[in-house]
Amino acid sequence: MKPTLSALALAGLLALPAAAADKMNDLEIAHTAYTAGQIDIRYAHLALAISENAAVREFAETMIRDHSAVNAAAGALIAELNVTPQDNALSQALATGAADKRAELVALSGHAFDCAYATNELGYHQVVNETVAEKFIPWTTVEPLTELLREALVTFRVHEGHAEHMVAGLKCGS
Amino acid sequence: MRLVSTTTRRRFLSLAGAGIAAALAPGAGRAHDGPHRVEVGISAFAFTPRRVTIRAGDTVVWTNRDLAPHTATADEAGWETDRLDRGQSAAITFATPGRHAYFCSFHPMMTGEVVVEPT
Repeated sequence: MKPTLSALALAGLLALPAAAADKMNDLEIAHTAYTAGQIDIRYAHLALAISENAAVREFAETMIRDHSAVNAAAGALIAELNVTPQDNALSQALATGAADKRAELVALSGHAFDCAYATNELGYHQVVNETVAEKFIPWTTVEPLTELLREALVTFRVHEGHAEHMVAGLKCGS
Repeated sequence: MRLVSTTTRRRFLSLAGAGIAAALAPGAGRAHDGPHRVEVGISAFAFTPRRVTIRAGDTVVWTNRDLAPHTATADEAGWETDRLDRGQSAAITFATPGRHAYFCSFHPMMTGEVVVEPT
């Protein structure tokens, strides 16, 4: 499966050295992290609309429930700090890549859809988790945001493991 | 004191039938310093402690400290908490001696056990 633009955008970010001069600020990171969660929620809604596979549907419901909870916590923190997240090139690339991926997914059905969705979820969580761990957490300077990202990463890593299990169960490679 | 946080959802479920039988059983009246409550934390997608041992009539209180919502749901039908968002707690009183395995219905790999001993 070809990598999505979202994955490429994040992979590009990962290629930067940790001390890159153009690292993102707290408000940009908050915007991108929130955007990434919203993207996964939209993928999940698409899965619930198309898939009839119980494991895929269960995973999608978990994504909606968990990412909604994480983004609600992010929204509460933003309100508490009385700041406005900043849109940025990475958020825009993620959104564009996700739109392309949704267009690709919506044309599929049955096992083809399930595998495409599951594989995308695995790849998406892998690259998001790496980005959060190696870039966003080291870059943030506001402690509550750093702590929120650390806690969110715990959830996202569980999702990655769940996605890996889902892909294996679907036998997409065979 | 049996009850728990007033800021949280609570659900008390007496496993009535067997519980009543246990209460009427020989020896049921032996010394017991009253019902207790035991706390189980939920963090990093795990129940901590994973296993608790209580006496019949005691209460287990689960508190979720994760960002993700969780539940504590019996493997075998009979009891479950409501959805627990971060910071929320739920309490269940166990009347029936035995081993009660449970899991999170949202994240089934999370498992725990309540061991209930006779009073």
